[in-house]
Amino acid sequence: MTTFERLNEIFCEVFDNDTIELKPEMTANDVDGWDSLSHVNLILAIETKFAITFSQKELLTFRNVGDLYKSIEKRLESRK
Amino acid sequence: MFFNSIEYFLFLPAIYLIFYFTPDRFRWVVLLSGSIFFYAMLMQPYLLLVLFGVTLATYVFGRLIAARSEEKEKKRLFWIGAGMNLAILVGMKYLHFITENLDLLLKAIFGKSVIPISPVIVSIGVSFYVFQAISYLSDIYLEIQEPERHFGYFALYISFFPKILQGPIERANSLLPQLKKPYEFNYDNMRSGLLLFTWGLFKKIMIADRLAIIVSTVYGNVNAFTGLSLIIATYAYAIQIYMDFSGYTDMALGTARLFNINLTDNFNRPYLATSVAEFWRKWHISFSSWLQDYLFKPLQMRMRNWKSWGSVIALLITFFISGLWHGAAWTFVIWGLLHGLYMAVAVLYKPLQKKIYKKLKLNGTKILKLWKIIITFNLVSFAWIFFRAESLGDAVLILKRLFPLDPGKVDIVNLYELGRFETLILLISLLVFIMCIKSVNKLLKSGTYLRFGTRYLFYLFLLLYILLLGNFGYSDYIYMGF
Repeated sequence: MTTFERLNEIFCEVFDNDTIELKPEMTANDVDGWDSLSHVNLILAIETKFAITFSQKELLTFRNVGDLYKSIEKRLESRK
Repeated sequence: MFFNSIEYFLFLPAIYLIFYFTPDRFRWVVLLSGSIFFYAMLMQPYLLLVLFGVTLATYVFGRLIAARSEEKEKKRLFWIGAGMNLAILVGMKYLHFITENLDLLLKAIFGKSVIPISPVIVSIGVSFYVFQAISYLSDIYLEIQEPERHFGYFALYISFFPKILQGPIERANSLLPQLKKPYEFNYDNMRSGLLLFTWGLFKKIMIADRLAIIVSTVYGNVNAFTGLSLIIATYAYAIQIYMDFSGYTDMALGTARLFNINLTDNFNRPYLATSVAEFWRKWHISFSSWLQDYLFKPLQMRMRNWKSWGSVIALLITFFISGLWHGAAWTFVIWGLLHGLYMAVAVLYKPLQKKIYKKLKLNGTKILKLWKIIITFNLVSFAWIFFRAESLGDAVLILKRLFPLDPGKVDIVNLYELGRFETLILLISLLVFIMCIKSVNKLLKSGTYLRFGTRYLFYLFLLLYILLLGNFGYSDYIYMGF
């Protein structure tokens, strides 16, 4: 499974919706229930599942799914 | 010089004409000097110094942050720049409050006054442009905004006259590029800008200022009124503050539109919100999104391991600060904390609420939506009691007379006697507002809505109505105080 597919799976789990199909340009407005409160759960789920920790600065600059994905890739890369 | 003053009606066409006849590369000079003149008309010379200090410090630190590549260094510079801005704000707005409370505390300990109490200083505009400056520095630190190199454009971004006194608090990426665009006369912007300005003026002087008569009669002498009058005055205040601030915002946006500049709209039908959280996405939007991006989110992310409780604490801190931002008084602090508490409770109650709605099969029904709107409006109105009350003692007295409700004699008749004519005009104006709001919104979007004759008849009616029945006093604005 690619990182992007895994990310998609986490989204489906967190927002309790199996029909979510992520695209890099998607924002919080495109996903039902993605508000500032569920966002925390999303970030926590991603950090746990990928075993990574985002920096505070990174967390404040995500504008869409693509930004989030790039940060995950970068973190996974630096762990190798 | 306020938007609803004769001076402004002279100032605005004058600066527009000068702007119009000036070549593009000097137009920022016209707007910047006009803005400084506008701010100087408050007749508080030290405010110009404060404005200059904020502008210069923010400009310099913006460039310094961007010039460094090391993260630690960037962060340090950001905190120095933001700290300077905060120090200016605290010095201007909170020194009196801090020294006053400290004095009370020290008196209790030592039995006598040991520190001098700082005087209250007029600080109109400062809390708005300081917040804007902090957002600018944050965006540069987060590397989502390039620093502005041209000091003139930067100064204009901070001081642009339609928004200097009461916002909207503009982000650099939305306002700066617009200030640099070459100007071309645009009939539709002119038409809708003037309409928006007039509509805002209507809300301000025909509705807000007249509701103010009722509200200040009651809130100015709480002791003399009982239950029902207090309820009416509180609802009246809920409408007044909306009409006052959204009216101001319309005038600010309308003015900016004459120069082909779109400012952020602060309001999106806030009293139709179905939760307090939604209310804050619809009320004073440029401020609430500032709180969300630069205060709530950083706090929430830092405390993310505490899950819902982290969000709860972040909410309470954010709304405590929001209260303080509105004014250095305990009434504002309690108002802010109440909103924080509403939302914190909502976060914790949400899972249970979901189950209840599911069980009662209420999800998606109109009745539920209406119920939520009514509850939200009442929660918000209840909090306004603290916001408006002249002291904590007054607020407590009001609560005592509302819970349990002591209807007493309905002394609203006395209110009516206060100004029978004013009350009549107020009711007609409210009716005009309700009847016209939809058409005005359509007219603002499209210059071809309604037939030519009808359209201009409406413009004429609005203008005459305001000119004949409006009070062009020098009534100030509620948010000017913040």
